[in-house]
Amino acid sequence: MDLLPSADQQDVVRAAADFLAQEMPRDRIRQREAEASSVDAAAWTGCADLGLFGLSVPEELGGAGFGVEEEALLFRELGRHVAPGPFLSTVLAAQLAVAIGDADLVASIVAGKTTVGLAALRAGSTVDEDRVRGDLDLIDAVEAPLVLLLGPAGAALVETGQLGAVQTVPSIDPGVRLATATGVDAPVSAWLPAATRPLYLRGLVLAAALLVGIAEACRDASTEYAKTREQFGRPIGVNQAVKHRCADMAVQAELGMAQLYFAAVSLASGRPDAELQARTAKVVAAHAATVNAASNVQVHGGMGYTWENDAHLFVKRVEVLENLLGGRTEHLAEIVALPAPQ
Amino acid sequence: MDLDFSADQRDFRDQVRTWLHENKPRDERPRAAAGIREYDLAWQRTQFEGGWAGISWPTEYGGRGLSLIDQLIWFEEYGRAGLPSVDANFVGLNHAGPTLMTRARDEQKAQHLRPILAGEVVWCQGFSEPGAGSDLASLSARAEIDGDELVVSGQKIWTSFAHVADWQELLVRTSRTGSKHQGITWVICDMHSPGIDVRPIRTMDGEAEFCEVFYDEVRIPLSSVVGDVDQGWSVAMSTLSFERGTAFTAGQVRLASTVEQLIELARERTGPDGRRPAIADDELARRLATARAEVAALRAMTYVGISRSARTGTPGPEGSIVKLYYSEMVKQVARLAMDILGPDGLRYVSRWIPGGWSGNYLYSYSQTIGGGTSEVQRNIIGDRILGLPR
Repeated sequence: MDLLPSADQQDVVRAAADFLAQEMPRDRIRQREAEASSVDAAAWTGCADLGLFGLSVPEELGGAGFGVEEEALLFRELGRHVAPGPFLSTVLAAQLAVAIGDADLVASIVAGKTTVGLAALRAGSTVDEDRVRGDLDLIDAVEAPLVLLLGPAGAALVETGQLGAVQTVPSIDPGVRLATATGVDAPVSAWLPAATRPLYLRGLVLAAALLVGIAEACRDASTEYAKTREQFGRPIGVNQAVKHRCADMAVQAELGMAQLYFAAVSLASGRPDAELQARTAKVVAAHAATVNAASNVQVHGGMGYTWENDAHLFVKRVEVLENLLGGRTEHLAEIVALPAPQ
Repeated sequence: MDLDFSADQRDFRDQVRTWLHENKPRDERPRAAAGIREYDLAWQRTQFEGGWAGISWPTEYGGRGLSLIDQLIWFEEYGRAGLPSVDANFVGLNHAGPTLMTRARDEQKAQHLRPILAGEVVWCQGFSEPGAGSDLASLSARAEIDGDELVVSGQKIWTSFAHVADWQELLVRTSRTGSKHQGITWVICDMHSPGIDVRPIRTMDGEAEFCEVFYDEVRIPLSSVVGDVDQGWSVAMSTLSFERGTAFTAGQVRLASTVEQLIELARERTGPDGRRPAIADDELARRLATARAEVAALRAMTYVGISRSARTGTPGPEGSIVKLYYSEMVKQVARLAMDILGPDGLRYVSRWIPGGWSGNYLYSYSQTIGGGTSEVQRNIIGDRILGLPR
């Protein structure tokens, strides 16, 4: 038993982390605020060139052949950089394409040619192997040819052009594009039953990874600021009111990270309590990211409230991710009803 | 990144489970201190004779010489078997033992380590003083060197089981020059020495496991000093890092089973609306779910800590993260039990008795104070992990 990433696993994401720092700095989100797409085409292609969309796609299908553990480490880096773009839905769609044996679609996603947005069902809406019906929230989907839907019975890909009139919605997060589609009655172009491969649980683990990255980035930003910002003639970090806030952020980040690893391994190795571990990872990571993002604003004082500072980018992305693939209340209801962890 | 236990480790787990099931104490744990001493020592002797004492202690000291992972397996199975915490043996097994192994001279190791494992002696701690709590280094219990002896006068406090202990890990001030961290000496004190007066302190749960210890010119041979005279602070810090290392693993497993018991309890008991079971109450259900999620994450954090220690060879300051989160959680879970019980929680039941939720609730207040308060843990995390200025 060794729950920490191996040196090889760390190497897998190191190049990605460097690329994100260089080519997708958080400031790019502010610069592209008015653009239709939150991520520029060159950066997206750069991600494809690095193999980020095919990290866990089998090698014979053009991927790198790694598992959900390595993908979780990548998504943690994406979270740390509040990377814009539909990474989650695109990577999950690649897994769906692998599962149904659509090699062309796999190749197109891995090459960065096909991006896939995310669609979430509003109450009363349904998706099955044939059609999706009702009202949808669309996340980073307007520019994407396909959207991914994760329903209780399975996962579906639907052509964005089939959704009818799509209404863009002002987004709380300048790095995420929102839209709605109402009265949808569209054909499903690819379907993966939930029982075949737990794509939803994989989505929970990757969402948790994004949140853990944010929780860690907030801890680091606050710690750095507490070391350098001086008031009353000394760094604010000498004060326990600030120091203890940073310490609590470290606790939350460590907790989220540990549960993320536990859930990723549980899913990869098919542990019987994988669902409980994955839902727990999402809940714990969302809590960690929520409190750390809020603390980070507070530690930065007035600067933390400005558009120029990154603190609000964390706050906003956490809010998007908390509402993605089920919120806290929904997961807690399942967690208490499931059998006890193994 | 894996959760795989080897065939040998799985086999070891089966052996532990079987042995604990067949050998665990059947009688109820006594309440009086003398009874607790005999009960805890007898159980330790049983483990020693069965070859199960000191899983990760080197074989030369009578241990099994196994890995940290095997130690984890032992603690997990120990917690799952519903066994009592090691209590009277805690300081010997988790503090004094590991400290002596890493810092003591050979003759000190030869004299003390095996009796700890064999359940022959009880150790207690003499660190805190009325004027030196969180600020441990300001301790003032004085020791003068007189020939080949230290002569100790002063007072210690919060010493669990001092009234039934044989030995004490004692911190005394041997010098007042230099910084307060200099001039401290870590010494082995024979609790049967003349001049020692032990007075139990009754605590808010009605029990009296803590004591004050008074020293009136107590003579301790200089040969009992561990490390060098005046250099005891670094020895004390290694003692505390052991406490914050793996020592909470069994407690963490016990906490996880407490949460499962509470979920059962909430399914059986009528809830606050007087009609439906407590688990049908949205607030209680969410708090139970949160507790279940948080103990799962606490286990993951323990595994990460053990993985880290296994790579570096020593427990690092990250142990303070586990200690802080664990002890805050113990309090939350104890509070949750009281909210499920409602007015039935007013009936006092000792924590040593099954269903002793009210006693456990009162006891839980000690958890974020003992072993370094939550505030001290946050200082350690801020200073030593995050590198914040002091």
